[in-house]
Amino acid sequence: MDFTLTKKEEAFRDELRSWLSVNLPEGWLEGKRTLPESKEAYSRFLRDWQRKLYEGGWAAISWPEAYGGRNATLMEEIIYHQEMVRVKSPPLVNYVGIHMVAPTLMQMGTDQQKEAYIENILTGNHVWSQGYSEPNAGSDLTAIETAAVKKDGRWIINGQKVWTSFAHLADRCFLLARTGQSGKKHEGITVFLLDMNQEGVETRPITQMDGREEFNEVYLTDAIAHDEDIVGEEGKGWSVLIALMLHERSGIAAEVFTLEQQFEEVAEMARTLTSDGKPIIEDPFIEDGLADLYARISGARLNYYRNITHTLKNGKPGPESSLDKLLVSELGKELFDFAMTIQGHAGVLAGGDAPFDGAMQHQYLASFGATIGGGTSEVQRNTIGERILGLPKDLGR
Amino acid sequence: MDFSLNEEQELFRSAVRKYLKDLGGTGTARATIRGDDEPARAAASGLAEMGINAIPVPEQQDGLGLGALDLVPVFEETGRVLLPGLQLETLALAVPLITNYGTEEQKKRWLPLAASGESAFSVAWYETGRSLFPETFACTATRIDNRYELSGVKTLVPVTGSPDLFIVGAEAPGGTSLFLVEASEAASVRPLSCLDETQLPAELSFRNAHAELLGEPGKGQDMLREALLHFNTALVSGMVGGMDELVKITAEYAKIRVQFNQPIGRFQAIKHRIVDMKLDLETARSLSHYAAWAVETGADDRIAAVHSARSFASRAYIKAAGDSIQIHGGIGFTEELDCHLYLKRARYWDHYFGSVRDSRKAAAGSLGWHARQTADAAPVS
Ligand SMILES: Cc1cc2nc3c(=O)[nH]c(=O)nc-3n(C[C@H](O)[C@H](O)[C@H](O)COP(=O)(O)OP(=O)(O)OC[C@H]3O[C@@H](n4cnc5c(N)ncnc54)[C@H](O)[C@@H]3O)c2cc1C
Repeated sequence: MDFTLTKKEEAFRDELRSWLSVNLPEGWLEGKRTLPESKEAYSRFLRDWQRKLYEGGWAAISWPEAYGGRNATLMEEIIYHQEMVRVKSPPLVNYVGIHMVAPTLMQMGTDQQKEAYIENILTGNHVWSQGYSEPNAGSDLTAIETAAVKKDGRWIINGQKVWTSFAHLADRCFLLARTGQSGKKHEGITVFLLDMNQEGVETRPITQMDGREEFNEVYLTDAIAHDEDIVGEEGKGWSVLIALMLHERSGIAAEVFTLEQQFEEVAEMARTLTSDGKPIIEDPFIEDGLADLYARISGARLNYYRNITHTLKNGKPGPESSLDKLLVSELGKELFDFAMTIQGHAGVLAGGDAPFDGAMQHQYLASFGATIGGGTSEVQRNTIGERILGLPKDLGR
Repeated sequence: MDFSLNEEQELFRSAVRKYLKDLGGTGTARATIRGDDEPARAAASGLAEMGINAIPVPEQQDGLGLGALDLVPVFEETGRVLLPGLQLETLALAVPLITNYGTEEQKKRWLPLAASGESAFSVAWYETGRSLFPETFACTATRIDNRYELSGVKTLVPVTGSPDLFIVGAEAPGGTSLFLVEASEAASVRPLSCLDETQLPAELSFRNAHAELLGEPGKGQDMLREALLHFNTALVSGMVGGMDELVKITAEYAKIRVQFNQPIGRFQAIKHRIVDMKLDLETARSLSHYAAWAVETGADDRIAAVHSARSFASRAYIKAAGDSIQIHGGIGFTEELDCHLYLKRARYWDHYFGSVRDSRKAAAGSLGWHARQTADAAPVS
């Protein structure tokens, strides 16, 4: 067992650190971290940031060098996420493209697809979204109804997607559609690389309970795709989807480190806020609660390290990533519940009137999305129970 | 023993529920969020016409002279639709304070206005950085001949529904005291943004405001503690109403939402979670009804009864709302569904005139757990 970084890993971290200190947007490190409000300016800002990362060679470090990556090791990727979280870097607008779509295309895309998409993903020219969920298909994606029908050599796609993150900013969509009705439930599903900049695609933002509009409804009305937009084989989209999910090998890292950082912010708040002239951290109840969260959040991080050790040894992630996802998202909810409680009556305020400009309030509300998006906590528990513990499935599933 | 609301109370509940439902349920609260106060104002006068405001006001001041139990169905129903307004503050806090501690003149002046619904009252107690019962307030009242002048800043004062009168806590010769201050006396009212957007808390500042002493000087905390028994009882009814609605909509959704070719309510992860919500709801309701009975009859254990209800229901309400979001899946995370409105209300009430810990402390104190002699006891571990 060894928890220290090698010389090479340290050098990697230092190189990234010094790059960030020069290249982050003006004032970012000093705390000037507001993102533009309007959709256009927001999109521009994030695309510019991705371009900068690309120019510095930091947009897609895990990719092979041939595609413009650094062939980074998993450890380096983890260090990368750690540093990005540390400086609270602007979000990577093309997260889906870089970490999921491109690696999948490298693995199973045609030469033409690689040519058409990979560089555009790297530069931020093409921002991607994931079109899986539908009004009647969420946890059970095999129930999708969006249908692609071939007519005169083209695929005509009709249906509706929902909760599609980034669709309002995206140029392309990694789309699941039904192309066949026979066979088992997960057969007859095909993955299309859909151009969202066409008449048949309409995106409508959905307001979330935290007031933001980050996910969308996407209406497909005679949207058009071609044979060359299919990934893998027609009707075999399910295995493409699984391959894509396996590529997201380090995604949870960012969430683990973010949770740790959020904990630090809550601890900082407990040291800063006072009640009747005393810092609230001196209250034994608050100290106790904070220490409990510290233990559990540290435990989650160490679990994660143990799980990646497994990935390092086996070359691909196992079902343990469900464990990380479940733990981290549920802990996030508990952390911010605690953060709300300890603010006392001031905790009911929001925005600039609340302590820490309402940062806790906002993250509290946002935390409820994390146990639903990317597979609900219940679905994660099923996966862990069935795939790790070998427990039987429910009837009818 | 008869552990149920009486027939009249249940009939009254049905009438209030129907009235609020016809007004559009949570639509009234959503209008307030959009900045349109008219529906909430209309609901307040409609409810007053039905007589809810007269319930706690003594008969001598044009009221019905009824007690805490008669308010239970009212606040369960206003809580169910998250009705914005000052009914709680007026009927369950200000009215008990004025009734119990006001002079005959003060009662005659203000209570009939509360009974008819012409006036709403609010309470300006909290100060930034100070707990519910701090040693002193920064806000002060100075005596000048026969009157008082009050200066200072109060925060989290509910002002939705335009109160005409504030009951203000301030330091005076003799200690923390309560004062009646008319709304027009406030030097400034700065609205604060609130997690629960159906509420309008404000920061109020007073500069030499004309103030009338309420009750004895130096007894402000004691009087508030006593009145908070009424307030917390009503507040818990509001929580129960909200939880009842959450259980209803969540169970309904679990019956109709199909995934994996079956209603999600068939999955025990979902079914059991809803059952746990129901258990919490029923426990909260029982604690709440008992608390109201204990307050109304002046039972010996009323402090423990009220604060047990409050500390339990407060946490249970937050949990029920969070679980409801989870069970709804993606749509539960949207602004469109009401789940988050309940969550935000539950959080707002969690720290409204006290917290879970304040209540637990009050319950423990009232049960005499700290009074026992322990000097002879053998040390443990
Ligand atoms: C913030 C956020 C971002 C998202 N981004 C995207 C995106 O970019 N692209 C995309 O395609 N989707 C996205 N989603 C959708 C997300 O993947 C779905 O919401 C999620 O998979 C649940 O599906 P559902 O909403 O239909 O809920 P349902 O599947 O209807 O679930 C309702 C409830 O039933 C439970 N349940 C379902 N099946 C079972 C079972 N077998 N056993 C026990 N309990 C069960 C669920 O856990 C949940 O509590 C996002 C969601 C959120 C909240």
